[in-house]
Parts: sequence; C-alpha cells; structure tokens
Amino acid sequence: MGCSSSLPDGSARRLSGMDQDSAVAPDAKNLRVKLVLLGDSGVGKSCIVLRFVRGQFDPTSKVTVGASFLSQTIALQDSTTVKFEIWDTAGQERYAALAPLYYRGAAVAVVVYDITSVDSFTKAQYWVKELQKHGSPDIVLALVGNKADLQENREVSVQDGLEYAEKNGMFFIETSAKTADNINQLFEEIAKRLPRPLTS
Amino acid sequence: MSAEELSSSASSSSDETLERDPSFKSAEGGGVDERLGSVRLEDEGDVEESRSDRVEDRGGEAVVESNGHGGDEGECGEESLVVETEVGDASGDLGSGVGGDGAVVERDAGEGDGDDGGDVPVLKTAEVVGSEVVGEGSRPGLEVGSEWRRNRTRSNSEIEMDDEQSPSSSGYAGERGSSNGAASSASDINEIVEDDEIREVGDVDGANGGIDSQSDWVPGKRHADEDDASISWRKRKKHFFILSNSGKPIYSRHGDEHKLAGFSATLQAIVSFVENGGDRLNLVRAGKHQVIFLVKGPIYLVCISCTEEPYESLKGQLELIYGQMILILTKSVNRCFERNAKFDMTPLLGGTDIVFSSLIHSFSWNPATFLHAYTCLPLAYATRQAAGAILQDVADSGVLFAILMCRHKVISLVGAQKASLHPDDMLLLANFVMSSESFRTSESFSPICLPRYNPMAFLYAYVNFLDADSYLMLLTTSSDAFYHLKDCRIRIETVLLKSNVLSEVQRSLLDGGMHVEDLPTDPSLKNRTLSPRVGHDSQGTFRESAAGIGGPSGLWHFIYRSIYLDQYVSSEFSSCLRSPRQQKRLYRAYQKLFASMHDKGIGPHKTQFRRDENYVLLCWVTPDFELYAAFDPLADKGQAIKTCNRVCQWVKDVENEIFLLGASPFSW
Ligand SMILES: Nc1nc2c(ncn2[C@@H]2O[C@H](COP(=O)(O)OP(=O)(O)O)[C@@H](O)[C@H]2O)c(=O)[nH]1
Ligand SMILES: [Mg+2]
Repeated sequence: MGCSSSLPDGSARRLSGMDQDSAVAPDAKNLRVKLVLLGDSGVGKSCIVLRFVRGQFDPTSKVTVGASFLSQTIALQDSTTVKFEIWDTAGQERYAALAPLYYRGAAVAVVVYDITSVDSFTKAQYWVKELQKHGSPDIVLALVGNKADLQENREVSVQDGLEYAEKNGMFFIETSAKTADNINQLFEEIAKRLPRPLTS
Repeated sequence: MSAEELSSSASSSSDETLERDPSFKSAEGGGVDERLGSVRLEDEGDVEESRSDRVEDRGGEAVVESNGHGGDEGECGEESLVVETEVGDASGDLGSGVGGDGAVVERDAGEGDGDDGGDVPVLKTAEVVGSEVVGEGSRPGLEVGSEWRRNRTRSNSEIEMDDEQSPSSSGYAGERGSSNGAASSASDINEIVEDDEIREVGDVDGANGGIDSQSDWVPGKRHADEDDASISWRKRKKHFFILSNSGKPIYSRHGDEHKLAGFSATLQAIVSFVENGGDRLNLVRAGKHQVIFLVKGPIYLVCISCTEEPYESLKGQLELIYGQMILILTKSVNRCFERNAKFDMTPLLGGTDIVFSSLIHSFSWNPATFLHAYTCLPLAYATRQAAGAILQDVADSGVLFAILMCRHKVISLVGAQKASLHPDDMLLLANFVMSSESFRTSESFSPICLPRYNPMAFLYAYVNFLDADSYLMLLTTSSDAFYHLKDCRIRIETVLLKSNVLSEVQRSLLDGGMHVEDLPTDPSLKNRTLSPRVGHDSQGTFRESAAGIGGPSGLWHFIYRSIYLDQYVSSEFSSCLRSPRQQKRLYRAYQKLFASMHDKGIGPHKTQFRRDENYVLLCWVTPDFELYAAFDPLADKGQAIKTCNRVCQWVKDVENEIFLLGASPFSW
C-alpha cells in the first residue's frame, strides 16, 4: 500500500499513535520529544516519516503543505519508551520565514539531504547553521543522507556526509525510505542520544 | 488609445499563437430573439411554443457573445443573444394586462412570515418571455477529457540556486503575526510533481452521479512539454496565465511557464501599452477567441478562451485564480516586486500547480465558482445542529473560524464574533485543502491567507481529514496554537462520532441531495423531508413512473441560490444528464444565464426562458433567491413554469436540511 492511499482509516491511525492520549506523563521511563525534519523539498522527509510511523512507502510524491504533524512511540531495550512528536516541514521557499515556528522548542532536529543531489547537501548545511544559530542550545542534531538505494546516482559521498556531521557534532546516518534501510535505526539512535531526566 | 484600436494589434498577435479549433463548428449568435406573447397561467395551451429548429452551422465562424462591457462595445458584431426581461412588480392582480413582453412574477405580499407555502413567491402568470436560442456549440468532442490526461514531471533545474542565501532575501517573508527574525530556508529546487496516481477521492461517478463529476480528471500540470510554438498548445481551448508586470511568467495552465517567457512578454507588452495610455484593457476579441486581462498591482492575469463563456464569467475566474495565489502567498508578495521588478515568483509557488489546475477544473463542474455562494451537504437539521454546537464551542475558545466540510460541501461552520467568511474564500480554501494530497496523510498546520478576509496577513490553518471525505479546518491568527487546535479537533471528533454525524454524512453522500424525480407533485404535502431516500413512500413523488427520464414536466436539474444565506442548493443530475460533458455544458449555460441576469441592473424580478436543442432553461431572479432550471428541450413552457414554482416550494419545505440556517450573519 502506498502512503497516499494510507488515508487514515481509523485503525491505521490509532496504531500510528498520533492520537494517543497525552496522559503518559513524560518521566524517566516515558519520554516525549518534539522532533523537526528540515531539508530541501523533495529529499524524502515525508517518506522517512511515513516509513517510520506507518511502515509505508509511496513513490508518488505528495508535496507537503506547511507542516504535517505525526507521532510514533518506540520502545528501547532498557524498557523506556520514547514518543516522537514529529513536525514534517514543507521545505518550500514560501514557508521559509515560518520555519522557526516548527523548530522552536524542538529537542531534536533531523536535517535531511538526498545523496543524489549535491544541492540538497548544500541546503542541509544551510539548515544546520540556521539551527545552530536559532535552535535550542541543547538540541540533538542528526544529519541524514536519504535515498541511499540510489547508489548509482550518488553525488554526495558517505565520507563527505560523515565529515560534515562530525565537525558539527551531529549524528550521521544514510537511509532509504524506499527500502526502509536504517529508518528505525535513525530514530533509535536519536532516542539513545536524548538527554534523560534524572531517574528518581 | 481605445481597446478597439488595440484589438487589431492584439488580434494579430493572438492569431499568431492561437489557432482555431477546427472541431468547433456550431455557432452561437444565430439565436432567435423571440418574444412570446403574454399568456396567462390558465391559458398555457395557447402559448406559442415556436420551437426553433434553426440550428445553424456556420462553419467555424463563431460569433462571440458580447454583453457590451466597457471597452468592447465596438466589438459587438452581432446582436446580443441575451434576452432579458424587465418584470413589473406585479403586486396587482394576475389578470391585469401586463405588456406584451413583460413577464409577471407575483410575489406574495407577506413575504418572509409564516411558514405556509404562501411565503414563497410564485411565478404565476405564465408570462416568461422566451427566447429560442439556437445551438450553443454542441458538437460532440468539445473539450473532451483528453486535455486532462497527461501529467507532468517537473524539474525546476533551470532555477538558479543561491547557496546559503536566505530565500527571504527575495523580500518575501509572508506576514507572520510574531517575530520572524530567523527567516531562512531552503529554496524549492527539484520539486517533483508526479501526480499520475492522484485521484479525486471518492466515488464521484457513483450512484449520485455527483455534481463533482471529476472522474476523468487527473490533477496536475498539463502538457508541460508544450510551449507557444506547439500546435497542440495553440489548440487548447482555454489558457490561463499569470505573469508579472515585467513580463515574467508566473503560472500557465498549459505548458511550461519558463518556456513561455516570450509569450508572456508579449502579453505584458499589450497590457502596459494600454495602461500607459491611461486605459484599462479588459477584453480583446480575436476571431472566436477572447483575451481577458485582469491587472492586480504588479501581477497580470490573462485568460485566452474560445469557450464562449461570457466576459464576466471569465473575469470572475481570473479573480478566483488571483485569490488562490493570495491564499498561498498573501498580498505581501507585491513587495518583492517593489524591491526587484524582475523578481521571479515561480519558486514561491513551488508545488502548487495542482492547486491551480484543480481550481481551473472546478470552473467547469462547481457552480460555486460563478454563483459566489457555498453549498451544504444535505443533513437532518438535528445532525447539522449537533455539528454546529461543538464547532461553536471551539470557536468560543479563540478559534477564528471552525469549518467542517465534506468534499466541497459544508457540514457546518462557525465564525468567531464579527468574523465572517466569504463564500469565495471558502471555495479557495476547500480547493487548496482538497487538491493538496498531503493534508490527507496526517494532521497539518499551515499558513494560509483568506483574500477576502485579510489579503495581507497569514492565518494558520489546522487541517485534519476525519475520514476520506470529511475534513475539519480550524483557522486562527495565532501561530503557536497548534496544540490547542489539536485538542479542539479531538474534542470535536469525539462529539461527531458520538452523535453519529460522520456516519450521517456518509449516508448523505450516498443518498445525494435533491433528486428532481422526487419533486412533490402535490405542493400541499407538508413536512416533507429529503431523507431517507431508500424505500420511502412514493406518494406525491414522480419517481416511480418516471425512472430514467428526469423529474415532472421534463425537469432535469435545478440550482436554487438563496441571496440572504449566501448558499445555493443544486439538485442531483437526472439520468438525462449523466455524462460529465453534458453536465459541464449545462453549467456553462447556467453560468451564461447568471452573467446575463447580473449584467445590467434591471428590475427586482427577472425571468428568462430559453430553448435550444439541448434543453429548456428557465431562470428566475428575485431579491430573495435565484432559480436556474433545466428541462427537456421539448418541455411545455407552462408546465415548466409551474414546476419551477413547485421547486421553490420544495426548497422552502426542506430548507432545514439543505441550508445552514441561523449561522452567524455573514456580512460583507
Ligand atoms: N529512491 C528513493 N526515492 C525516495 C526515497 N525517499 C523519498 N523518495 C522519493 O523522493 C520524492 C520526494 O519525497 P518526499 O518525501 O515527498 O520529499 P520531501 O519534500 O522532503 O518530503 C518522492 O517522489 C519519493 O518517492 C528513497 O529513500 N529512495
Ligand atoms: Mg514533504
């Protein structure tokens, strides 16, 4: 099933956890984090989110308008759960001035580029600087090179991505929303890096 | 200089670029302007139904209707088709001699009070002046779906990208309420629009033969490979362009904007030539093409059409396209042009082709685009009340507008105190939400601007689809209200589920609204309701005997527009109007009627009766409502008039279900 046809028939939606009640208080065992995805339009942000939240991939692009909100809870091995509240932004120029609306207060920012596009990598670096300037100081930053399944069209080497990430204290991973490669790993690794509230 | 003089230069320039569609033959304008004698209701039989069979084929020499709008008087080659009848106020007795071509419309004196049928004005004396209008281009093959079929993969690779540069340096920064110091972003390169699989959701071709006959329509950019040198491009029946006053292309319905730069420059030259002379260029006729211009500050909108739609209608469509652009960007985009006259606006509209193409498509199926009114999904009064109550609740908590819709129809809507929503804004907002597939994927929070509410500022729209067809829109001025609106949505959804509103909505979708076959034959039958349709008693309705041939007296379809409510109700199409093409043609005919009825400020009551080979059209405009009805082309005129009276009574009887009543007054 494609992600567009994934029109929320109630069940899929509940599973996605989007509507799960907010009763789960954020405590040491049950974290709630606001995560924002940034990056050029078309790099695959929405596909990454839909792969993570619904386990789906639809090759036909549904251009995001404004920003979409989705959430997903994962359980870690130490039996803590992390509920990600995800802002999937549009990345279009007309919404540029509104980006802070979405990344303000975010605990995690995932900056995505497309490994087959140098331009998108340049844009990602722009976003990183932007976040370093205006994001919360203890924000967890991840750099994601998506569309890793398109090796033959690769324009950005793993090395370049990794180096840039290390220089900027970011977590780096290459993913494919299409094949689901490294998608769950991305979010699990982020979860591990979250600052934990002190356990009582 | 005058438009007339200009037309010669303009026509040569359009002739270069637009070729006539050879498939179009039947001409308009051969119409007979025939005024039938005064007939009294009792004498229907005497009405001379001089049905004209003069369907003329003028071999492509189409005559474009001219309603004599400013600037084009000199162009009227033919007499106007439009027959308009001034109607006396006729409060006198029925029989009193009404002049030979005066139609008598009697309105009940006690209008508005009491709920017996008496307060519906009655079109009594069968004195509707008729014109037997011959053939509106009825050639098969007119605008068949082919132009909707292709898709586009768009790659803006030719757009230069400025690394590191904040796109806001373009000067466009929307208009947020709060701080936007950190303006920055990525620009919109590599936007790929592959929309071959996007389809209008829902069974539009299903049992109810939907008004929204969009089954053949695939959204998205058409013919991206074309430019003004392509024969196919020139043959398109209807072009829409947006360009800047420096001649930069912004949007084109067909073809790639960037390849049309030369053509845009030509259009721009025409406009500024006229404007510099102090004249406003509105319309140029070139053969059977009309070129219509709308100037909005630094932005020009142009329509080139050979569809024979009236100037007013096409101009209204350009206004809507402009409104759609404002909805996406706000009018503050004008500032970009102040800063840089050569500003390229296309990146700002990245990914919105589909919004415009869907709007343009709706010009041929959604009567709201020319009626400037909205329509409600038929629902039991209590059901709509339940929805309205919870929306009101939410509106009281600081939401500016709470709108619950099903496809393009309103379930209920509520505005904060004093806030009013223009039907055009609703149309544009619904189009934006329904055409942008991403709203269906999850809940969204997006800046939008309501051009009639405040064209300068963004509002923030929380949008959530509650099921495949129904969606909730909560609008606010506050950019950080997302979590509050999300909570509101959860509350609303809970109430809607508990009170079964959403399942009622689905049932209404299946049942459809007013079916002409159900028109009560006995107007004295009171307290009728629309539903349930399945298995309801056939007493007093036409259904059983007439399955498949429309309603009584050959009634095929009607639209009733309430002036006070800013709402209209459109019947389902009878089986005689099954195909989307027939429906589109009927809407075009209604649209033409609408334009002619609203063209000149004549009397408070107006009627029009037209007969051509496709149908009989009857239109009746009063200060309270407008009725547009289509009948079998052989329908009896007296019967048709009687039937219209019954339709009005019927609408009155079921108004609780088809209209949103008692909503906060809309004032603009
Ligand atoms: N081959 C491949 N294509 C992808 C991948 N992720 C996304 N895409 C495609 O890239 C396009 C844009 O994806 P989308 O998620 O809408 O990008 P966004 O604008 O960043 O949200 C779509 O056509 C996707 O099918 C991937 O991992 N591999
Ligand atoms: Mg997206």
